[in-house]
Amino acid sequence: MENNIQVDDAPRPWGIYVHIPFCRQKCYYCDFASWAGRERYMADYTAALLQELHRRGTRYAARWGRPATIYIGGGTPTALPQEQLLAIVAALQGVGAAEKTAAVPAGAADGHASGTQGLSPDLPLEFTVEANPGTVDEAYLAALRCAGVNRLSFGVQSFDDRLLRRIGRIHTAAQARASFAAARAAGFDNISLDLMYGLPGQTLSDLQPSVEQALALGPEHISIYGLQLEPGTVFARQQEQGRLELPDEDTAEAMYDYMTTALPQAGYERYEISNFARPGHESRHNMSYWQDVPYLGIGAAAHSYLDGQRYENMADIAGYIKAVTEGESVTSEEEPATRQIAMEEYAFLALRMVRGISRDGFAARFGVTLESVYGEVIARLEAQGLLQTTPEAVALTPQGMKLGNQVFAEFLL
Amino acid sequence: MENKYIRNFSIIAHIDHGKSTIADRLIERTGTLSEREMEDQVLDNMDLERERGITIKAQTVRLNYKAQDGHEYQLNLIDTPGHVDFNYEVSRSLAACEGALLVVDAAQGVEAQTLANVYLALEHDLEIIPVINKIDLPSADPERVKKEIEDVIGLDTSNAILCSAKTGQGIDDILAAIVDYIPAPEGEGNAPLRALIFDSYFDSYKGVIAHIRVKEGHIKKGMKLKMMATGKEFEVTDVGCFRPQPVDLGRLDDGEVGFIAGSLKDVRDVRVGDTVTTADHPAAEPLPGYRGVNPMVFCGLYPVDSADYDNLKDALEKLQLNDAALVFEPETSVALGFGFRCGFLGLLHMDVVQERLEREYHLKLITTAPTVIYKVYKTNGEVLEVSNPSDLPPATEIEHMEEPYVEAKVIVPSDYVGAVMEISQDKRGEFKTMDYLDTNRVLITYAIPLNEIIYDYFDRLKSATRGYASLDYSLAGYRQSRLVKVDILLNGEPVDALSSIVHADRAAARGRQLAAKLKEIIPQQMFEIPIQAAIGSKIIARENVRARRKDVLAKCYGGDISRKRKLLEKQKEGKKRMKAVGSVEVPQEAFMAILKID
Repeated sequence: MENNIQVDDAPRPWGIYVHIPFCRQKCYYCDFASWAGRERYMADYTAALLQELHRRGTRYAARWGRPATIYIGGGTPTALPQEQLLAIVAALQGVGAAEKTAAVPAGAADGHASGTQGLSPDLPLEFTVEANPGTVDEAYLAALRCAGVNRLSFGVQSFDDRLLRRIGRIHTAAQARASFAAARAAGFDNISLDLMYGLPGQTLSDLQPSVEQALALGPEHISIYGLQLEPGTVFARQQEQGRLELPDEDTAEAMYDYMTTALPQAGYERYEISNFARPGHESRHNMSYWQDVPYLGIGAAAHSYLDGQRYENMADIAGYIKAVTEGESVTSEEEPATRQIAMEEYAFLALRMVRGISRDGFAARFGVTLESVYGEVIARLEAQGLLQTTPEAVALTPQGMKLGNQVFAEFLL
Repeated sequence: MENKYIRNFSIIAHIDHGKSTIADRLIERTGTLSEREMEDQVLDNMDLERERGITIKAQTVRLNYKAQDGHEYQLNLIDTPGHVDFNYEVSRSLAACEGALLVVDAAQGVEAQTLANVYLALEHDLEIIPVINKIDLPSADPERVKKEIEDVIGLDTSNAILCSAKTGQGIDDILAAIVDYIPAPEGEGNAPLRALIFDSYFDSYKGVIAHIRVKEGHIKKGMKLKMMATGKEFEVTDVGCFRPQPVDLGRLDDGEVGFIAGSLKDVRDVRVGDTVTTADHPAAEPLPGYRGVNPMVFCGLYPVDSADYDNLKDALEKLQLNDAALVFEPETSVALGFGFRCGFLGLLHMDVVQERLEREYHLKLITTAPTVIYKVYKTNGEVLEVSNPSDLPPATEIEHMEEPYVEAKVIVPSDYVGAVMEISQDKRGEFKTMDYLDTNRVLITYAIPLNEIIYDYFDRLKSATRGYASLDYSLAGYRQSRLVKVDILLNGEPVDALSSIVHADRAAARGRQLAAKLKEIIPQQMFEIPIQAAIGSKIIARENVRARRKDVLAKCYGGDISRKRKLLEKQKEGKKRMKAVGSVEVPQEAFMAILKID
């Protein structure tokens, strides 16, 4: 169960993540908690999810007011029948609606002093739903927009039909373009696209037209993900059988270089390792993960970060429904938070942001200077050209971004 | 007890043929342990022994058995190590017996290991009772196996016992046969004491406990005794037998098997094969067959974290308390710092020691590739014994070198003869003999350099014969050989711990393979790492580990930070297991890379 230690009850920015574990088809690279062929559970799952939200959401809203960001991800949230997803959206809109809204804490107005960016409490709610092209039409999207969803994230991955098939996506490039147009028609003015690189059989010249087509649509936000082989996926099996033709290291690097250059040139500023946005359209929910902001995870396999402790919900759909229905907790503590873990995570998560670790933010959170804990590590990595420092912050260099994991691991104490 | 009611026997069997299970059934059937006290395979004590299904230390257990004739018999079962590394230990255990059960799997038949131990038993004039186990298996073919025993070993199998240790069938027949066929011990109770030590172990309360067989005379608590080989004198504080827990009896008479203890601190004072006699009236001659410890395989052991050096030393000393065959001395490597050169009876012994150091003492170790003792004849007439490649003098000072050879006996189904011969030739083997054991199975004998055996000989045999090959080998002297040292350079710097001694004809290929293997093993780092293999100053192979270009962890779904964290922890843990050699981080397994080249 979650701690009942109420460390701060002042209204403050916080987020809600809702997990929808259903998909029409499992993509070959995917090892997230999502399943195809479980449509029979959808109605019960939605009911259970609403129950969990009521139970836990109310509690945190009473402490912190309305959430600043809400994110429905998956899986494929839009795989749910429209009325079920709308019921979830409506319930989320209600969380904290009756509570006092977050007042601006003194001295934290610009977000920088408190170490957070983009979470000024006077901003309106950011409400994102992930959607897969081919699962939505304009009516569905318009209903979401009407219900208060104001941001969409499309898992486009590529505009190359051959590659889309090769990675197990159910849609075509044409469907992606149609879904995007439908979203605009439905009134969405904040849309993000996911693009993947390093796919089997993909070359740099395959990637370029995909990126160009993504840019041609003019989304507000683009996320880029390099393919990673995860155990238990179709790709992992193909790899074992020697049937996976991954691009070589040089090619993958060239793809990375190309994307991290082309997107800023087109006006998408990189604000986080894998995220690019037109100024003012950064994903506030995504940033909150890296900036020590609490979030409540609702649904099977959802993760929460509350009062400094990380929690995990049970992943099994049927087990989740049963437990919620019987009034049992579905949430368990992950590794108990210690001061050391908190410092490590604060540091390596903040480093994912282009602005890096705020020295003031770190000192405010832990009562010691960043230098006193990580001085030696920072100096070493700076000498290796992986970190850059200013009086305010410590951040990755472009080379450090490329070798992010190497840097992050050094921040484990 | 009168000698005529005593029987001392051991069990000879190949791994997995059911030795331990039969021992368990005998213990159970004679009521030595109640069923409740039985734990499967009572006699294999160490976790490692259980996991690997092997016996490393000898164990004994005394069974009381009421025979058909109405008399109570004392049966002493001596469970012997079953591996070629422990050949000498096996021979001492057999010397403590008058008979042996030869256990053969009813489906698999005779294996090389069985043969080796049967010949040992025959050398000691033991009465051998063939036992065909696992007759409950559908594939069991007891008649074929009987014929094989007759043809191969020349044993009469008309009295062979068919049994299934699993179902318990035939266990009573075994007990009866032990009494009927195995001779009672002969001994002279009034002669000066002569007792054979066939194993020992260290107990933290009582000190060294010696497993003994009293051949002549007797031992009582309080007696002053003397080890005839080491000269160590001590007073007996405990004397008794195992059932299977130690039971203090106060006395052991001639013919009996049991243990003694008495203020013995150092296992090296209590040598397997030594003779115990009385200090006051010592026997004129020790029992025959004593031999000093004779390690055949050597490797360097180094702590990954040099701060662990003292812990490693302590751990080796503790293991040595229980393992007189383990030898070690301090050694320094430019690449690895301070460590130890350790000598082992064979590869299994080496494996077991390494695993116990890591598992029981939580040490992170770097092991260098195993080597053998080479004899180096220098031009100035000096003769060196070298087990560490970096101790080899410069080529110009070497007149010639010799390396140890073994006689390797391989038993395989006849279909695989070609494969065995190909591998053996490839390992510089010299063909000796080939004999058909029956229409289907062949015994092939080769003379092979030991340094080839300790690379992947058995692994290759196993994989080329679908696991059917069984191997036994024994040292067969030194032969002159053209040997050279292959050095490895990382980033231009020679790494002494990666040097190896190989036959001149193989050196170039070995150097190339090793460089290629190291390229696979050494992870990418921030800069490019050239790997070179060299003989003397001549570079024979070159590879490159490219600089790491990109390492981005992109996805983070639904705020699952813990998963990211675990990946980073794993990465960091991996780094901890590496040794910084100059500026290059080298994983532990790199130092064993030479064993992994095909």
